[in-house]
Parts: sequence; structure tokens; C-alpha cells
Amino acid sequence: MSAQKKRNFQIEAFKHRVVVDPKYAEKTWKILEHAIHEIYNHNASGLSFEELYRNAYNMVLHKFGDKLYSGLVTTMTMHLKEISKSIEAAQGASFLEELNRKWADHNKALQMIRDILMYMDRTFIPSTHKTPVHELGLNLWRDNIIHSNKIQTRLLNTLLELVHRERTGEVINRGLMRNIIKMLMDLGSSVYQEDFEKPFLEVSANFYSVESQQFIECCDCGDYLKKAERRLNEEMERVSHYLDTKSEAKITNVVEKETIENHMQRLVHMENSGLVSMLVDDKYEDLGRMYNLFRRVPDGLFTIRDVMTAHIRETGKQLVTDPERLRDPVDFVQRLLDEKDKHDKIISLAFNNDKTFQNALNSSFEYFINLNPRSPEFISLFVDDKLRKGLKGVSEEDVEIVLDKVMMLFRYLQEKDVFEKYYKQHLAKRLLSGKTVSDDAERSLIVKLKTECGYQFTSKLEGMFTDMKTSQDTMQGFSATQSADTGDSPTLAVQVLTTGSWPTQPSSTCNLPAEILGVCEKFRAYYLGTHTGRRLSWQTNMGTADLKATFGKGQKHELNVSTYQMCILMLFNNADSMSYKEIEQATEIPASDLKRCLQSLACVKGKNVLRKEPMSKDIGEDDAFFFNDKFSSKFYKVKIGTVVAQKESEPEKQETRQRVEEDRKPQIEAAIVRIMKSRRVLDHNNIVAEVTKQLQSRFLPNPVVIKKRIESLIEREFLERDKVDRKLYRYLA
Amino acid sequence: MMRRSSTRKTGSQNSASSMNSSPVDLFCSASSKASVKELERIDQLFNSYMNKSSDMIDPEGIEALCSDLEVDHTDVRILMLAWKMKAEKQGYFTLDEWKRGLKALRADTINKLKKALPELEKEVRRPPNFVDFHSYAFQYCLTEEKQKSIDIDSICELLDLVLGSQFHAQVDLLIKYLKTQNDYKVINMDQWMGFLRFCNEISYPDLSNYDPDFGWPLILDNFVEWMRERQS
Repeated sequence: MSAQKKRNFQIEAFKHRVVVDPKYAEKTWKILEHAIHEIYNHNASGLSFEELYRNAYNMVLHKFGDKLYSGLVTTMTMHLKEISKSIEAAQGASFLEELNRKWADHNKALQMIRDILMYMDRTFIPSTHKTPVHELGLNLWRDNIIHSNKIQTRLLNTLLELVHRERTGEVINRGLMRNIIKMLMDLGSSVYQEDFEKPFLEVSANFYSVESQQFIECCDCGDYLKKAERRLNEEMERVSHYLDTKSEAKITNVVEKETIENHMQRLVHMENSGLVSMLVDDKYEDLGRMYNLFRRVPDGLFTIRDVMTAHIRETGKQLVTDPERLRDPVDFVQRLLDEKDKHDKIISLAFNNDKTFQNALNSSFEYFINLNPRSPEFISLFVDDKLRKGLKGVSEEDVEIVLDKVMMLFRYLQEKDVFEKYYKQHLAKRLLSGKTVSDDAERSLIVKLKTECGYQFTSKLEGMFTDMKTSQDTMQGFSATQSADTGDSPTLAVQVLTTGSWPTQPSSTCNLPAEILGVCEKFRAYYLGTHTGRRLSWQTNMGTADLKATFGKGQKHELNVSTYQMCILMLFNNADSMSYKEIEQATEIPASDLKRCLQSLACVKGKNVLRKEPMSKDIGEDDAFFFNDKFSSKFYKVKIGTVVAQKESEPEKQETRQRVEEDRKPQIEAAIVRIMKSRRVLDHNNIVAEVTKQLQSRFLPNPVVIKKRIESLIEREFLERDKVDRKLYRYLA
Repeated sequence: MMRRSSTRKTGSQNSASSMNSSPVDLFCSASSKASVKELERIDQLFNSYMNKSSDMIDPEGIEALCSDLEVDHTDVRILMLAWKMKAEKQGYFTLDEWKRGLKALRADTINKLKKALPELEKEVRRPPNFVDFHSYAFQYCLTEEKQKSIDIDSICELLDLVLGSQFHAQVDLLIKYLKTQNDYKVINMDQWMGFLRFCNEISYPDLSNYDPDFGWPLILDNFVEWMRERQS
């Protein structure tokens, strides 16, 4: 820097002589003080604003700001003390009114005083860091009125008393209340909070604690919740009418805590009226109320969900394990669907379609449906029933609804492969007996299964449909070649089933009557002529036949029977009576089937085209059978059913189970090999976890079975154990 | 336990390790006069037990050998000797096997062989050798072509022979279990090796460190469950 000295320019202030009258300040202040008195005494109309303003201006200008300010404080304080006395003197209800009136006066006065002293407010106060006039007025009001000994407690008690009266049903002057509260708020948020809000919340907590205790002792859960809801609304309304909006969260919090949170468990579990009863009785309104109240408190929804889950699991478990229910599979599944509908409706109407509730419902269903190993079979039987007869006259949309519901149950199944097994069996029966009501419905369900489980799952089912279609075409082709010499020979309808696509049936053949055998041979020749290299075998246990029969008095009937029954009846064209042994020899129908057929031909009233000696319900090996020429029926067409066991018998069940287990083995092994091929080295737990994950869309593999398959793969040298870390397996390629 | 068998075992070549070829072996195979003489005596010893028609020591020869060694032919040490020779066929020693074994043991007389047996047992009992011996014992019992497993009764005998002296209590229980259970009629190599590992690793009798998630063969899961049921 240069050493050159900086020259400071100075501008001298313009000085004019000020004549200071030593009494000037005192005089001027007297004028102003008088004005303030007049303002407080409601005599302001005679005052000149301009003159007063100038006086105040001059005082500040002549450095008497301090005097002016302290004079203001003293004067205002004096007036407030007087006001305080008059408020204190007010009796009873007039207390708040007096306070309110005086507050209004003070505000008006303050406004005028501020206007007069505006110059002080703008220049003197900021430079001396004093409190501005308006704020000063409020502070003085606070200190001299609100915080005065005789008012502070009285005010608080009066306010709380009024709130209490309102809570107990009295009508109070809300306008006055609002003004007073507004005053407290104007005096600063700390005044509002300390002098009103805090004690208000404490008193409220007390009030609701006592009240909720009374309610819970004498009300049922629904009534209690109604009262709680009303209280909550009342408090919110109160806030909107005369409290600070910021108080809403605080007071509702108090109500929630005292009325809901503290009694949550007791409410939910209340006997005969708690959550479980509401669920049982579909009390949508009460449940909705509970949901909306409980969601306000911590763990509230969790509590509801927990109890609901436990309840659904328990009732579901009872439902699926009740031996009574197992008798009727269709009813069993219908009840499951009803149960699901019921809770779906509750969740949508009362629980706001809450996702977590839906998940809880789903997991509960998954839990209990799989408690019963027969669920897959029963669900398939339910579909069977619907597709056989249940959907007649039902619109397409309703069919879809039913099928969608079935699919929903299907999704809960862990053993989807077992379902597939049964579904295949039932579908086969439907298709072969022509019992299926709607081809569209059948296909629709297959498509649903396919989207759910993939192509593999349904490929065989679809194969069955293809076979049916192909068979139709084949039969058309066949009858076209036969049209010349139809004559009296029986009409044949053949369904050619691809081995492997259809459920394996123990193929028990029987001796067909010569007439039938003839057509059969013609068909065989036709079929093998167009399809070389195939083999046909007759599944006589699966067919049906329509027979024309003439009875004693010449009455004609058409009998709809099974192939076996047809074979038996045809024998009676040449003989009027036959013994059991003779029939057995002639037809070679397996004994158990033969007995069932004979039972349905001879022992069912109205369908007894045969007569049996001796007369009894059961078929004996020494029984004799006669053509019943006295047979009569109201109907021309008589359908003679076979006594079939629809539900599986115990041994059949075990056989199916075994087949399922056998089918699973290669699937598990394939999964293990797939996993090991890509991972090369993996420990036991991870293999089990990955295999389970890969297969869970079809079934839930048992860890023990997985272990067995691993050991088998070790034995066959697909895998080995790691030499060092023996919990690891290595893939041997 | 050395059942006679006529079919020659060709399947699964045993994995008996090559750890017998110690430096001493290599030294011995050097053509010094002493070793030539030693080899001659080993050959002579073989000839004295050999069946002339098959050029092998057959079960009868082994019995003669056992009585000369004053050990029972079912003694584990004979199995150890077979292991040392890497004998392939149960009940038979070929000349090559005989030479391999006796040379390694530096035994060219029956007396020396007798004295070598305790040392051999010590060698076998050393952990890495023992795993190999354990696996060898299983292979040695596979007599049929493509045979991969051994029936329960034979396994029980083999268990007692191979592991019985070391893990008396466990082996007794395991044998008891194997004879009462119905799930398994035969035992495969994996399970057999699992038995050894079980005896070596699992604290007995509390079984506290047994974890079925560790990938033990299922039969051992069942065995442990069976033992726990007995204990409670």
C-alpha cells in the first residue's frame, strides 16, 4: 500500500438552534397522557389525531423518546390494573363476558395509541431495541390481566368448566369461547399452550380415562366403538369451532390413547361382541368403525389382523377337518368358497380393501386348505359337479365367476400335482360319458390352469380334448364307409384315446357280444387302415350303450347302460334265466364290476330289468337272474346307472397318493440335477431351498424326500460329497 | 467274514491310494543284493501258501497263513494286510499283491510278517490311512459284478470289525439300530462313509453337534432320531 495518508472528508451537519423549553417535554407528555386516559375512557372523539401525532413526533425528535415510552408503559399499566379489577369483580358467567369486552376495548385503544405514537414505533423503538407499541400492549395485558393472581386460575377453570359442560351435553356460548381462546392465541402461542392447551389436554385425558373405563364395563364392543367414534368427532368439531387448529392432532391423540389404545385388547377380545363375533355376524358397520378407529393408534390394525387371522385359521381348520364335511366334497368346497366370499366382502366393505388384510386372508386359507390332504381331490370333484350339471342355465359370465373362484382355491393348494391327477381322472369320466355340460367352460378352465401353471401342466388335459375331437372326425369317416350296409347292425361310437394322455385304467376287458364284436372289428380294420403302426385295445370298462328292449306286454323301452351291463343284458336274448356263474363265464367281467352291474340291473326299483333269486340287496355267487318281463317304467328312456363310488375309496386313495409320490421323484431329481449343473457345488440347505422353490408351483417337496433323491443321485454318481466339507455336494459331469 | 466267492470282481476299482510307495519302498527296489534275496524269500513264502492250480493264495492258503501268524482269519489285521497288498478279490492274494504288501512291510519270513502286524495296525489307524482303509473294507466286500451295496447283516459285521474297537458304544447302537429298522435292506458306499464320519465327528452320547441340515445320509438322521427317542 502507498504510505500516502488518506484524507477524510467530513460533512458538517446543519445545525439550527433548538430552543429547549425545560418544561417542554413535561408539558407535551401531559397532553399525550391525557389523550391516553381519554382513549381508555371512550372519549376519543374529542381528540385531534394530528395534534397528538405531532406532539409525539416532537418528543421523539427532541430526544424525549425514553420519557414518552416509559410514560406509555406506566399509563397503560395503570389502566390495565383498573381493568383487571373490574374483570375480577365480574360474577359468574359475566366474568368471561367482561374479559371479552375489556379485551376488545383494550385492542381498540391500543390501535389508537399506536397510531398516535407511530413515529416512535418506527424510529425510536427499533433503534433502542424496545418492544413495539402493539406488542407492548399485549404483553402488558398478559402480565396485568391474564397472569394476575385473581384471574389466571379463574380463567383456566372457567374455560375447562365450559368444555366439560359441553362434553356432558350442555350448550355453551361458543362465540364467547372462541373470542377468549383467540385472545390467548393472540397473546402468543406460548400463552395459549401454557395457560390453556396443556391443562386442557391433561383434564381431557383424565375425563376420557374415567369415561372409557365406565363404558368398557357396561357396553358391548360395538356400542363402545360408537361412543368412542362420537367422542372423537366431537373433539374435532370443538377444535374447528373454538380452538387452535394445531390442537386437533393433540386432542385426538388423547382421545385415541385413552379410549382405543388402552382398551384395544379388551375390545377386540370382548366376549360375544368383540372382533370375532363381528366377523361371524358380518357386522360391516361395526367392523368398519373398528378399522377406522384402530388404524389411528399404533399396532391397532396389527391387532385386528392378528385376531382375524387366528379366527379364520381356526374356523377353517374346523371346517376342513370335520369328518361330517368330508362326506360331501361339493358341499365342502362350497363352504370354503362361502367362507372366502364372506371374508372378501368384510375386507372390501369394512377394512378398506387393505392389502395386508387380503394377504392375511390368503395365507390363512393356504394354511388350512392344505391341512386336509383331500382338498385337491375335493376341489376337482367340485369342478366335476359344476361341469356335469351345476352350470345348466347359468350365464357365461356366472360360469366364469365360479371357475375363477375355483382357481383361487387351486392357488392355495400346495399339492397342485395331486389336483392335476384327480382332475385328469374326473375330466376323463366327463368326456367319455358325454356328461360335460359346456365345452367352453371346460376349455376356459384349462386355459386358466395353463396361465397359472404353464403348458406342461395342461398338455395332457388338452391331449384329451384333442382325442375327443379326432374321434369325432374318425367316426364320421368310419360311418361314411359303412353307410351302405348299416341295416340292423348296432351303431358304434368309438373314442380313440392316446395312451399317456388319459389316466391309466387297469384295462380289464370282457367278452363282447358277437353283434358288437363284428362292428368293432370293422372299425379296427378301418382305423388301422388309415393309421398304420398303431395298436387298438378296447376299454370296455369305460363305454356306454343304448339298448332297445321289449318287455312282457310288448312295452318298448330304450335302456341306457354301461358296456358291461350291455354285455350282460345281451345274454338274455338267448336265455330267460342265467346263474351268476354262467354270466361270469360268458362275459368274463371282473367280479367286483360284475357284482356292481348286476346290482344296478336287478336291485334298483324302477330300473330292475332283471329279476334275482333270492331277492336281496346284495349279489351272491349262487344267485340266479331272470329276464324281468313284468318290468315297467313311466319313461321310454330308462337310464340304468352303475353304483359308482364317486369319492375315492381308501385303497384307491392310497394308490393315487403312491402314484403322485412316484411321479414326483423324477421331478425332484431333475430339479436337483438342473440346479447342480449350473451351480456345480452347493450345500445341502441351499439345494433343498432351491428345489423347493423350483417345484412349489406344482407341489411342496418334502425335505426328507429331497434328501433321498440326493442320496440316490450320489449312488448313481451324478453327485458326490465334497471330500473336505462334507455338507457340500459336487456335480459330476 | 471273508466269504468265498467265485466271480471275479471287475467293477469299481478301489480307490486305495498310492501312499504305500514311501521313499523306503523306492530305496528297497534298488537292485541291491540284499533286496534280491529278500524278494526271493517273499516269493518262496508265497509259493508255500499258493494253490498250484490257480497261482494264487486262495481261502485255504489264507487260513493256513492265519494259523501260522496265529491270528484268526476274521481278525481285522488280516483285512489290514489285504489293504496293504491292495488285494482286489476277497479271499485271494495274487503274487503281485503279495509282493507289494510284504515288500512294503519288509517282511520276508512268516516271523517278520507276524512282527510287522502291530506296526501295520498303527499305520492303518493314522487318520488319512484310516479313511482309505474304511472305504477299502467296503469295496473288498463287494463280490458281485456291479454290486454297489452290502446287505445289513454283513454291514453289521464289517462295522464291528472296522470301527468296533475304536467306537465301541456308537457302533453297538448303530448295529442294534440297523437290525431293528425296516427302511433299508442294504447299505451303499455313501452311507458307509457316513458312518465313519459320524463316529469321528459327532460327540457321543449327547449328539449335541448333530445337525440334519448338514446333509448327512438319511439313515443317520433316522439313527439319531432313534437314539434320541431311546434316551428320552
